[in-house]
Amino acid sequence: MIIPIRCFTCGKLVADKFDQFKRQVRQGEDPAVVLDNLGLHRYCCRRMLLSHIDIIDSFMAFATTEVVEGK
Amino acid sequence: MDIMIIHRQDDVIHFLVEGIDVAFANALRRTMLTRVPAMAIDEVLVLENTSVMYDEILAHRLGLIPLITDLESYNLPQDCDCEGKGCSLCQCTLTLEKESGSEDVVVYSGDLVSQDPKVNPSTGEIPLVKLAPNQRLIIEAYARLGTGLENAKFQPVSTVAYKYVPIVEVDKDKCTKCEACVEVCPKKIFVIDKDTLATQNTLDCTMCELCVQECEPGAITIGSKNDAFLFKVESSGALAPEAIVENAADTLKKRIRVSLDFVGKL
Ligand SMILES: [Zn+2]
Ligand SMILES: [Zn+2]
Repeated sequence: MIIPIRCFTCGKLVADKFDQFKRQVRQGEDPAVVLDNLGLHRYCCRRMLLSHIDIIDSFMAFATTEVVEGK
Repeated sequence: MDIMIIHRQDDVIHFLVEGIDVAFANALRRTMLTRVPAMAIDEVLVLENTSVMYDEILAHRLGLIPLITDLESYNLPQDCDCEGKGCSLCQCTLTLEKESGSEDVVVYSGDLVSQDPKVNPSTGEIPLVKLAPNQRLIIEAYARLGTGLENAKFQPVSTVAYKYVPIVEVDKDKCTKCEACVEVCPKKIFVIDKDTLATQNTLDCTMCELCVQECEPGAITIGSKNDAFLFKVESSGALAPEAIVENAADTLKKRIRVSLDFVGKL
């Protein structure tokens, strides 16, 4: 749904690095180099960012709170 | 016992300990993982949540945020005078209020407002949830001290690992300077220096022994010291890495004393 806060395997904080990772990869940088620079050296943490797909935006298309009741 | 700090960064510390055995090294590692207290959100009161995320997922995400821990001013709930009911000496309240206007808004850990200025998320850049237009979030969260023994979210460390100190030896008489080991070593331990095979940064050696396999004349041997360990302690951001090691050493000492006293009474 949204980037997990920590690595499933080792517990390292990964969520705060996702925005930068996404931005730099979109600019055409090599994901391996970006991950190294972010300090994610173990492959358990690297897969957290590499394999993540944000689907919260798709869910938000179905948000039901356009009109708040009683307001 | 000698300790030498090899490398220190904000959240990681590498050090070499000499004169201990595996049992002690592992006891220290496990104490760091399970016995050093750290702060984490433990109870969440969701007053309003109109986002697309379920309250439970949100609460789970809040619990995983590393909070900067002040061990001096907080008690573990079980050791507190309030007997674990929750008072200002063992609990800290954080609130979160966010409303999106006509545009999407990302709620970050930095939006949490803490009652105690010393207890705050270690970074304000953790995305918690995204709000679509006209969605609202009002949350009250209660943080407390706990240990890794109870729940992994209380662990002040993400990885604590130790390894043996490697000894890389090259037999100069057997070596034919074929450079196969220079190529194959993933940590680039071997270098050709003035026509002889030399070693560098041997502490990085992972003892994969690829060089031993590649070396035709069998000139390389990889061994290890059995009374020295290389530790790597990576903090989650709750406590400084050296504070974790110090606290773990104190806790271990206390626990050993307790068991010695018990054995003495038998
Ligand atoms: Zn990991
Ligand atoms: Zn209390």
